[in-house]
Amino acid sequence: MTDFLLELSRNPRARSVVRTLGLPIPMPTELKRGRGGMRARPLEDMGVLVRAARFELELADTLASSGAETFLAEESVSFTSAGEAYARPSRTIATMGDARANAIVFDASFVSTVSELSVVYEFFHAHVKKLSRCARVVVLGLEIDPDSPSAAAAQGALEGFCRSLAKELGRHGTSVNLLRVGPGAESSIKPALRFFLSPRSAFITGQPVGLGRPAEPASFTRPLEGKVALVTGGARGIGKATAARLAEEGATVVVLDRPADDEAASKTAREIGGEVLLADVTDKDAPKEIRAALLARHGGVDIVVHNAGVTRDKTIAKMSREQWDMTLDVNLHAVTKINAALMAGCLRDRGRVILLSSVAGIAGNMGQTNYGSAKAGLIHYARASAQGLAERDITINAVAPGFIETRMTAAMPAMIREGARRLSALGQGGQPIDVAEAITFLATPGAAGISGQLLRVCGGALVGA
Amino acid sequence: MATKKARQPRKTTATRKVTKKARRSKAVPETTRSATVKKKSTVSTSSAKKSAAKKSTKKSRTPRRAVVVGGIRTPFVKAFGKLMTLDAIALGDAAVGGLLRAFPIERAEIDSIIWGGVILPSGAPNVAREIALDLRLPSSVEGMTVTRACASGLQAVTLAAAAIERGEADVVIAGGADSTSNAEIKLPQHLVHALAPLALGKAKSARSILSVLSQLTPITELLPRKPEIAERSTGQVMGEAAEEMARRNGVLREAQDAFAARSHARASAAIASGRFDREITPVDSAGGTAFVDDIVRGDTSEEKLARLRPVFAKDGSVTAGNASPLTDGAAAVLLMSEEKARALGFAPLAAFRSWSYVGVDPADQLLIGPALAIPRALDRAGVKLADCGLVDMHEAFAAQVLSVEKALGSDAFAKARLGRDEAVGQLDPERFNVHGGSIAIGHPFAATGARMVTTMANELHERDEELALLGICAAGGIGAAAVLERV
Repeated sequence: MTDFLLELSRNPRARSVVRTLGLPIPMPTELKRGRGGMRARPLEDMGVLVRAARFELELADTLASSGAETFLAEESVSFTSAGEAYARPSRTIATMGDARANAIVFDASFVSTVSELSVVYEFFHAHVKKLSRCARVVVLGLEIDPDSPSAAAAQGALEGFCRSLAKELGRHGTSVNLLRVGPGAESSIKPALRFFLSPRSAFITGQPVGLGRPAEPASFTRPLEGKVALVTGGARGIGKATAARLAEEGATVVVLDRPADDEAASKTAREIGGEVLLADVTDKDAPKEIRAALLARHGGVDIVVHNAGVTRDKTIAKMSREQWDMTLDVNLHAVTKINAALMAGCLRDRGRVILLSSVAGIAGNMGQTNYGSAKAGLIHYARASAQGLAERDITINAVAPGFIETRMTAAMPAMIREGARRLSALGQGGQPIDVAEAITFLATPGAAGISGQLLRVCGGALVGA
Repeated sequence: MATKKARQPRKTTATRKVTKKARRSKAVPETTRSATVKKKSTVSTSSAKKSAAKKSTKKSRTPRRAVVVGGIRTPFVKAFGKLMTLDAIALGDAAVGGLLRAFPIERAEIDSIIWGGVILPSGAPNVAREIALDLRLPSSVEGMTVTRACASGLQAVTLAAAAIERGEADVVIAGGADSTSNAEIKLPQHLVHALAPLALGKAKSARSILSVLSQLTPITELLPRKPEIAERSTGQVMGEAAEEMARRNGVLREAQDAFAARSHARASAAIASGRFDREITPVDSAGGTAFVDDIVRGDTSEEKLARLRPVFAKDGSVTAGNASPLTDGAAAVLLMSEEKARALGFAPLAAFRSWSYVGVDPADQLLIGPALAIPRALDRAGVKLADCGLVDMHEAFAAQVLSVEKALGSDAFAKARLGRDEAVGQLDPERFNVHGGSIAIGHPFAATGARMVTTMANELHERDEELALLGICAAGGIGAAAVLERV
């Protein structure tokens, strides 16, 4: 299950041999990942190149208070005063010399015509080479305005720019993402940047994320204190990593898994100081029982992660009725039924619902008509539910992992597995922790502005939109 | 299963409530014991008891003021110099002995000694009690030793003030001592653990002795390590932290050297004028008698300091000249309740209006603490920085003092870090560290706070000022501040 090429690329001599011989072997860069709970200053000592526009104030405050050293396209009073407050004096890019930067933040809020896009070209053309390995690029755009086609063309172009740049920089382990800020959602910029500029977002690249509403105020360390989280399929893999991360941020986690997985579920719960709830999500009475248990134990729930899933791969002609039903039941039907049961009187206001979709639900996969249906269904279910839940400040989002190194992918045929790993901008598979980090971010109060969306954690998989 | 678990949390919250209540009703009469004794016997219902207790809490707050009667310290002497043979306890003996000579008081009046120490002697860490025993004070003079890094001395003094104001004591000697010359060199824990079977006589056979010896490799791991003032959490040496603060706050080498030169010039002038004479007691030791602070260099200058090489970074700015040196010394302060002082015929010098201790993230700016502690202490005292005629700040490094000064003067810092619109204020060089500070005088860690209290208490009368502000930074990201008022 170990990734041989990733191991090889760790060896500097092997790297240089491959490079000098010009061998057609991809050499993925080992990604830097976050460790432990969220920190007060997640961007400590990072060098960040900044071109600020409308969001200058937010950027100055966010970067200085998060511990970053900023290099500006042009001097700015906001950055000078934020730098003074946190002893992070900002400099101009011109004074950088040969120093490398760990990130670029480009505020593209000023782009409202196609011709203004040339500024984007000029900045990145001049500075992209200054980036170190495993760097971060975040472009701040605006929510697409449906009433202004020409502005939509310009702002929409940013998405293609980011996706393409992600593919160019992926082999250096660098990610590129686009944050689209809606009107009045400026307060969401800080928590989003603290995530997307940090090593925690290592496997997310080429993604547009909309910030539609203001963030809820909360501490940046242990932001989930006092919250109750339910993680279905929490005994192993992504579910386990998610349960552990949520617990690390202060949540009380209820690990739900099948009665047959009692042992694994109990072990996970013990490790993270959480609780076990045994139920088969496809049982007719499961939604009612889960609701009753959450109400009885905790008086409700704040975070629901629908992670339980199965695959029963067969081409449609060969697929049995059971294989179809089983996959649809666990992956899609159970989610909608459990959600319906929790929604009234159990899921608390300001709640968070996160659905585990899959890149297969976006691009489809041979032999996965059942799985692809279910996972695509989840994406649209999240999108359609968001508006109704917004009244209660509840967000609902789908997270679509790409190739993640788990028990499920280890069972794939070797050649297919190898291909799946490499067919992404970052040229490697992700770890369960990468998905767990994305889910944990979506569960925080700072992510209140993100709802009804699909966040891919796929390393820039070449398939799908 | 669900229902079984369901009962548990309810039960625990219920019991928690009960214990909380019980604790509260118990705690109130305890804190105001003397005042409630009478009432307690007359009322029986618990609610009545509570209201009575509340009333008496207010009553017990009627000011009982702790005052600083005076202070004495040893000369502050370069480490491994004249006072090398004296450990922290012996230095404490010298300072407290000198204090009792300068302020003759019937020994039986003393309630306790509260002493600060940073490098504590591991054989007798309660330095305070050892001093009392060494000086043959009545056995009733109990002792407590506290440690809060470089704020330990001030901590001891404010604890004494708190104890007096709370009615626990009338007369307390507080202060601190440190002998960096006597820092104990530690054997690596690895070696200690490996040798444990031998020491405890468990390894008898040749084979088991061999297995013990086999753990003692590589040999370099067994050598005692040089003691270093490194942060346990970050591994950063204090000088590196100062270097980082200089860089991040844009404090230049020239400014640091100028500040250090000023510190030396002022301390030297104070010594020459005899200003420190009544605060210092000479100390005899095997190395001779120390009469005066021996680190102060009246003849230094910015030019001379500029020639020194940076210690902690190649292109750095922190040098031996603009940092406080390793020092041996002790300082003691005599505190009493105001009534007691007057009854015993002493003229009180000063009292504490407020104090504040804060913590900042040691991984950020390790020594910026005073910039947060000072505004809090000023707020508690109900005064502004401009109201303080004197400001005395511990000079760990010129870079650190100047960084704190910058933060105090910054509107942006005030807005972002203190939640207020305006800067705390600018430090007036004419009122700030008027007799120099730790860079020139030296810094025997726990003695510094007590030295500052004494010098400021005297200076309030010298200059006829109302208020003096103290600020101290300390390892671990601790900051301390206090406001003294003239009595």
